[in-house]
Amino acid sequence: MNRIDQLFQNKQKDILSIYFPAGYPKLEDTLPTLQLLQDKGVDLVEIGIPFSDPLADGPVIQTAAKQALDNGMTLQLLFDQLQDARKSITMPLILMGYWNTVYKFGIDAFLAECQKVGIDGVILPDLPLEEYKAKFEAAGVHNVLLVTPQTTDKRLGTIEKAASGFLYMVSTASTTGGALQASKEREDYFKKIAALDIPSLIGFGIHDKASFQHAASFSNGAIIGTAFIKALENGNASEFLESLQ
Amino acid sequence: MKIKVCGLKYSKNIKELVKLPIDYAGFIFYPKSPRYVGDEFDPAIPAIFPESTRKVGVFVNEELDALLAKGKKYKLDAMQLHGGESAEYCKKVKAAGFEVIKAFQMNDSFQFNTLNEYENACDFFLFDTKTENYGGSGRKFNWKVLENYKGTTPFFLSGGIGVQDAEQIKELQHDKLYALDLNSGFELQPARKNADQLEIFLNKLELNTMNKDKYAVNERGYYGEFGGAYIPELLRKNVDELQENYLKILASEQFKKDYARLLDNYVGRPTPLTKAGNLSKRYGTNIYLKREDLTHTGAHKINNTIGQILLAKYMGKKRIIAETGAGQHGVATATVCALFGLECVVYMGALDVERQAPNVARMKMLGAKVVPAISGNQTLKDATNEAIRDWIANPESFYLIGSVVGPHPYPDLVTRLQSIISEEIREQLEKETGNPNPNYVIACVGGGSNAAGAFYHYLNEKDVNLLAVEASGLGVDSGETAATITIGDIGFIHGSKTMLMQDDDGQITEPYSISAGLDYPGVGPLHAHLAVSGRAQFLSATDEEALNAAKVLAESEGIIPALESAHALAALEKMQFKKDDVVVLNLSGRGDKDMETYMKRFA
Ligand SMILES: Cc1ncc(COP(=O)(O)O)c(C=O)c1O
Repeated sequence: MNRIDQLFQNKQKDILSIYFPAGYPKLEDTLPTLQLLQDKGVDLVEIGIPFSDPLADGPVIQTAAKQALDNGMTLQLLFDQLQDARKSITMPLILMGYWNTVYKFGIDAFLAECQKVGIDGVILPDLPLEEYKAKFEAAGVHNVLLVTPQTTDKRLGTIEKAASGFLYMVSTASTTGGALQASKEREDYFKKIAALDIPSLIGFGIHDKASFQHAASFSNGAIIGTAFIKALENGNASEFLESLQ
Repeated sequence: MKIKVCGLKYSKNIKELVKLPIDYAGFIFYPKSPRYVGDEFDPAIPAIFPESTRKVGVFVNEELDALLAKGKKYKLDAMQLHGGESAEYCKKVKAAGFEVIKAFQMNDSFQFNTLNEYENACDFFLFDTKTENYGGSGRKFNWKVLENYKGTTPFFLSGGIGVQDAEQIKELQHDKLYALDLNSGFELQPARKNADQLEIFLNKLELNTMNKDKYAVNERGYYGEFGGAYIPELLRKNVDELQENYLKILASEQFKKDYARLLDNYVGRPTPLTKAGNLSKRYGTNIYLKREDLTHTGAHKINNTIGQILLAKYMGKKRIIAETGAGQHGVATATVCALFGLECVVYMGALDVERQAPNVARMKMLGAKVVPAISGNQTLKDATNEAIRDWIANPESFYLIGSVVGPHPYPDLVTRLQSIISEEIREQLEKETGNPNPNYVIACVGGGSNAAGAFYHYLNEKDVNLLAVEASGLGVDSGETAATITIGDIGFIHGSKTMLMQDDDGQITEPYSISAGLDYPGVGPLHAHLAVSGRAQFLSATDEEALNAAKVLAESEGIIPALESAHALAALEKMQFKKDDVVVLNLSGRGDKDMETYMKRFA
């Protein structure tokens, strides 16, 4: 069974997901960071595939991606680094990136590598949802889709039909790293998505225990990216993860 | 107007013709004709044509039963009766379920009242040149006699029509003229048609709908395999909203009126088409400059911003976001925002802020906020990233994109708004030379908007060579270049599938050109399609070549071009034109903004 499905079967509340870019802050940090996340009880991890032009990301993730690229990070190297990850890592793993790098790698080769190293899902925000659906399904890799506060009900219907694994609920109209603004409208949006038949995690703007708990109260859990990257940069990743408990 | 191609026979030849929009395909079943299909004609041959092409059997005084049998065997849709068949006979054919086309042979004294009894017996008449042998003479009759035809049955015009008749046919004004019957005027030998000549003819009559589709965007935003909308869900609603509205608004009377009025009395259109005498002498040909440099704000960019600001207004938008490279699009956006009283934020690469200082000052004076983009190479690509991020964070804003790039519908939207350039060129050139088509159209390509506008109305005119010139910076192999088509490959940038410069790992390469407006690692999807399909030829010019070309134009014609346009001028050195060629070069902008760069080189 796909580890993402297993996770949502076993746990419906307070799922903590962490995002960080591969090869950051140092080229060889990918695996040690994964190990740390698992040791600290993180439920799910999104590993970022660094891209030169990350359109949906704010300054922190842009800078981190650039540093990873300067370190020499590539998609092939990431698969190499993950070669033996499944010997110790049991959390579900997701690769998150932009479509151009995957297209260039080749969708078939990409999915074959995902299967080989044990990747459970991908998030490719700029890939139209109808493309390659059959291939993802055949490979047993969830193509996780985004919904946003702007998503219309009609569009939501389409997304729900195509959805796989869980829905990534974008909290605000913003690139990554913005602030989560609480409002009645926002809460109605969270509730609407949470009422769907598919699990959902809230991301964008979640940065500490309080915002995590707030978001998690409306959904199955939440995703932290920018705040964790800042902690990696400052060398206090462990402390940050502990502060979320 | 419908097209009938008559006197077909050979399967190989027909396979060359199916790419053309042929409405009627004629097969001659009259044994004395040199185009007779023969006794053993294979019924599979007419069936090569698609369903939409009606198959016509041509007969001369054939026995009714034999004719109907042939109709059945060859699955004919229509019968063309070329002998002395009576109205009674025609009625019987019609009653058997065939369309009836009755041919008559014209001369100057033809008595049209003899047709009266056929009016209800046939679907169409066919007027051919009078000969001894039931047509096929290759001669035309005097089309003036058609003025005497006052009947109600629509007719096919036949007899010796060739490519050279296109212009005269366009002028033929007869409300019953239904179709053209093409035969000997388009033949390599009897029954073997010349597909190229037919295509040219259809293009001239603007009947080549198939070809049009070939270069037009489809409803999903693709040009061939390029285009589409590869955007994060965060932009989906905005892009959908634009996709749903842009064609409706562009087609509305209100928009057309407002757009035309502003182009006329604010932008200063039409811009002149200047015959460049000294430049023509220098290159031994006939060079015309399309003077986009003379528009208000000094570049073609304003054609687009005027159109998009109207769109934004009709869609109720209050805040405008734009990216800019050379600053021309930024200035053109700041200008229309001032005119319409809308808030304007322009993203500009920090490097470009420096090298295009005069335009930064203009934007500020116009009341726009200029935000330097400090990521990447700090040029146009990075400014575009920042503009898109702003749009994600401010979805109620309108993103006013500056070139034929970005997710669908932007490439098509901007192409349509810039197409005024070739619309004017056609009219002006026709007046000047008697022919709306030049031999060459040359334009520089950054994202490709001025080129798209200059090419647009020529895309289906096979006899017009389209030359696109990219910036190769320090040289295509130097690693410091912006020659996307020349060195790039297929990928995704700013929401569009297109050609782009990237490394083996799919990371987008930082471009380089001395010209800020061409310093972009992608290109509009239309141009990727034109390049891959071979419709346009892509050249490149280095910094040095562009600088020199700018100097040549300044000294020979008294015009200082924008550095971007200077790349198009540099192509003149690379081509071998004939003495009689007509070359139109789109002078996309003026050089005021580039004076500092020019002075560094030439002072
Ligand atoms: C004068 C001029 N020409 C050409 C360009 C290149 O853009 P495009 O390829 O969209 O025409 C620019 C862009 O800033 C420009 O200012």
